[in-house]
Amino acid sequence: MRTIVTGLLLAIVSVGGANVAAAGGANSAAAGANSAPADSAAVPAGDFAPVLAPAPGKQSVHVTAFRLGKIPVTNAQFLEFVRTHPQWRRDRIATLFADKEYLSHWSAPDALGKGALAQQPVTRVSWFAARAYCAAAGARLPNWYEWELAAAADERHTDARSSPAWRERILEWYARPAGRPLPAVGSGSANIYGVQDLHGLIWEWVEDFGSLMVSGDSRTQGDPDKLVFCGAGALSAQDRENYPVLMRIAYLSALEARSTGRVLGFRCAQDATP
Amino acid sequence: MRLISKCLICLFMTAALAEELPGDSLYRLQIPLQAADGITVALADLRGKPALITLFYSQCSSVCPMITVQLQNIDRHLTQKARHNLTILMLSLDSDRDTPQALQTFKQDHHIEDPRWIVARASAADVRTLAAVLGVRYRKLPDQSFNHSALITLVDPEGVIKAHTEGVTKSATDFLQKVESTAVARRH
Repeated sequence: MRTIVTGLLLAIVSVGGANVAAAGGANSAAAGANSAPADSAAVPAGDFAPVLAPAPGKQSVHVTAFRLGKIPVTNAQFLEFVRTHPQWRRDRIATLFADKEYLSHWSAPDALGKGALAQQPVTRVSWFAARAYCAAAGARLPNWYEWELAAAADERHTDARSSPAWRERILEWYARPAGRPLPAVGSGSANIYGVQDLHGLIWEWVEDFGSLMVSGDSRTQGDPDKLVFCGAGALSAQDRENYPVLMRIAYLSALEARSTGRVLGFRCAQDATP
Repeated sequence: MRLISKCLICLFMTAALAEELPGDSLYRLQIPLQAADGITVALADLRGKPALITLFYSQCSSVCPMITVQLQNIDRHLTQKARHNLTILMLSLDSDRDTPQALQTFKQDHHIEDPRWIVARASAADVRTLAAVLGVRYRKLPDQSFNHSALITLVDPEGVIKAHTEGVTKSATDFLQKVESTAVARRH
């Protein structure tokens, strides 16, 4: 089964590499808090068992209360961001912060055109760009456990992961042929928190995607040839049947911070206001 | 607010630099490093000389001591000319516990005295940013230890990544040669 996941991953991941020549322009984090925080939903604190065990012998994690964007960030919203933060335009961004496919489906650095509808989720954005957008909105990217907790829900349950219907519905998305235009945001049904499109629309960046070190086989931990990782070794899956989430993890763990993808977007999160 | 001030600093510094940094230079990141002696330097201050960069933490008992030894071995095997021109940055992943005092103790324990070696800490957000650029993956475990990639990265004087080591058990001969040639190359 791991082979299947890996194979699918290879088919899906298209990481634009290419260290092209230097791009001009000053660049760092985005500035200012211009746009109103995205319409977000409250997700209460909770303990849950993530698909990857958080540590050897430990099954559950505690997630503190947070707010999560109800829908992913759209092309229209991101266009507004690059207009007010021009250092994130595709013709000005430094190659350190995004690969050459960054926003390449827009008709111009400051226009969407026919290939990018206003209400479609913005995609082909790097982790740096997604992070800068959220920071400018007074928010942040969700971390992985927040995302996984929210995405475990269906319309009526906070944890629907053991439901075959939940898995099948999500897996339908993976089976859909690539290359079709993306639907508009908000096309999926809202889960129990009021959050939409966590499954079935796009892959989403998380703040700590670099913490997802995957190994499906704990025996590799003692292999001296694998001493690329320091510490208690890579993570081991405690729920190997949960393909929808394992696919996400596999996808995210293959990315670099400057990577972009045709169906890779993001939504923002915030700490819960006390 | 912190972001605003960062960006202003960034604009100011870019204007101040005589030559523009390459688009993929690490020194485009505005990251203050607090060294073991308590003095704060900017990551971009490393510009002008090649550098070896690694992420570690002082309480690490598994692979990190081997990284330190590996760095010392590389340094020792360079020609004097190359060694003299090289900066070595060890940045802690453990922003909470690796205070300058803890880093000072680490330096003493590992007999790190040469001023070319910078053992430093930074904010958790800045560590995440630099780790992302270096391709270092890491996570904090419930017992406060870290899982992390054990990599050493070579960057040229302009902050462009030239090479990575691939784990501490592989022979570092190729990597050593790259460090040597990068460190003796003239700056353009």
